[in-house]
Amino acid sequence: MSRADKIREAFAQSRGAHWHPTDAYSRAVWLGTGLVVAGLFLHQVEMVLFGVPLILSVLLTTKPKGTPTVSVRPVPRGAGAGVVHTVAHLDGADAEIAVVKLPGVTKAVPAHSPDLPVQIRRDAWGPGIDLRLDHLFAGPDGMHVYGPIVGTEHVRTILPPVEHHPAGPLPPRPAGLVGIHRSPRAGDSTELRDIRAFQPGDRLKRIDWRVTTRTGTVHVRERHAEADAEIVLAVDTRTDVGADVALWSSPHYGATTRPDGSLDRAVRRAASMAAGYLRQGDRVALMDLSRPQLNVRSGVGRRHLMRIRTQLVVCVQAAGWSSRVALRKLPHGSVVVLLSPFLDDEIAELAVQTRKHGHVVLAINTLPLPLKPDRETPWGEVAAELIAAEHRQRLRRMAEHGVAVTREC
Amino acid sequence: MRLAIVLAALPVALVLHLDSGAVVPVVIVVVLTALSALMPGSAGPALLIGYAALAMAFGDGHPLRLGVWIMIPALHLIHVTSALAAVVPVKTKIELAALKAPARRFAIVQAISFGVAAFAAFIPSGPGIGLVELLGLGALTVVIAVVALRI
Repeated sequence: MSRADKIREAFAQSRGAHWHPTDAYSRAVWLGTGLVVAGLFLHQVEMVLFGVPLILSVLLTTKPKGTPTVSVRPVPRGAGAGVVHTVAHLDGADAEIAVVKLPGVTKAVPAHSPDLPVQIRRDAWGPGIDLRLDHLFAGPDGMHVYGPIVGTEHVRTILPPVEHHPAGPLPPRPAGLVGIHRSPRAGDSTELRDIRAFQPGDRLKRIDWRVTTRTGTVHVRERHAEADAEIVLAVDTRTDVGADVALWSSPHYGATTRPDGSLDRAVRRAASMAAGYLRQGDRVALMDLSRPQLNVRSGVGRRHLMRIRTQLVVCVQAAGWSSRVALRKLPHGSVVVLLSPFLDDEIAELAVQTRKHGHVVLAINTLPLPLKPDRETPWGEVAAELIAAEHRQRLRRMAEHGVAVTREC
Repeated sequence: MRLAIVLAALPVALVLHLDSGAVVPVVIVVVLTALSALMPGSAGPALLIGYAALAMAFGDGHPLRLGVWIMIPALHLIHVTSALAAVVPVKTKIELAALKAPARRFAIVQAISFGVAAFAAFIPSGPGIGLVELLGLGALTVVIAVVALRI
């Protein structure tokens, strides 16, 4: 074993999950004994009297035994954002004082005190650490300590919140097997789709006798099918920008996304829109424009909403710049809702191309406006204005090509 | 808890100043107190207690003068508060109940220490106390043996 290893081992022995003496213990032993011995040999009774309390404090204390622990009652599943309450249970063994680092405050309490109330603040959606109770137990007079111990991390994932939007002009109806939208396919509704020549397999009751008599050949009436609409929520996770241009290039710490940034807005809107469409009985799919492997196929129901919200968190965790954006395997005749800050031409081009392929495209701008220029540079205002002008131009071009654009989100 | 170290060191500085009449001991105590309050896990408290004990022992006056009686609890208090401050981080909210056991132990230790001091006040001093010294050395040997066994 090298000298460095020995030093490292000695250092590790002086802390961690076992009882070990502190400097106070060494002080009491060596200084106490030294003062008493020196006092006796030098005939100085004061030194003896000053050393006696130190020796007594060693003699009156014993080295604690056992394994003290701190455990936390798990937060109930489904507890969302806001303030959540739980308790920490202390099992002090032979310890006298427990020092526990609670969220926001460090407390020194008796080691055998009743459960400690713990308040957890959940300010943002996404993955995060709820609680990590770092702790230390001290024996009598702090002469022996157990720790410091790095607590177990209690992680949680808060799903993006759902804001309930008004249902719109659609009449209420029970959820069933058929939807409320007209499908491009032929079906059995009452709405006429086409009148065409009779083909083997057509039902006789569909023959349009009036047209048949007029033309001389047998014709049938074809009707539209009624189906659920296919909604594709396409989220652009490549950038996460706020209103302050100066902060665009700096990372944001403490939350999965910038509060009220473009990605935060996109995810919140996507979750809310998914909830709205699913409540209406439509089929909803989720697509990550830069990471197709994270896409969620279209589906219906409450469980699908949970799947989409969970996948939105996964998408945000994997968020990052990508040079290519793509919408793959779009269901025929689907409505594409594109949520993006539209900061580059690629995404605008994608919206236009999707529209040209016959899909209904709704572009939702998630860029927080108006932009705040960088005050630390003389070009800050010009740069912000340039970005805003390009952005306006991009939205205008999309609108000209038939993409429905919302400027504010 | 760090404030408690400073408060415990105040009577030490005052006694040393009144005992010696000089400013130098006060300056030394202030420096060592600051070191102890900032780094309670360092050698600061040991140096402070050791310096004050030596300064009082080799100062003028009766061995059991009032200053010595004040210093006995004050130096012990410095030791206890430094020990607790070393395990409690800064800005920790300390519940009073957590200090109940250390306070009780402090009181017991002080009661015994004052008993020893009172006993020392009655022991005859001067030449020709060979038997007393022998008893003292015997008691010291016992104490050292007990402490060694505890270590």
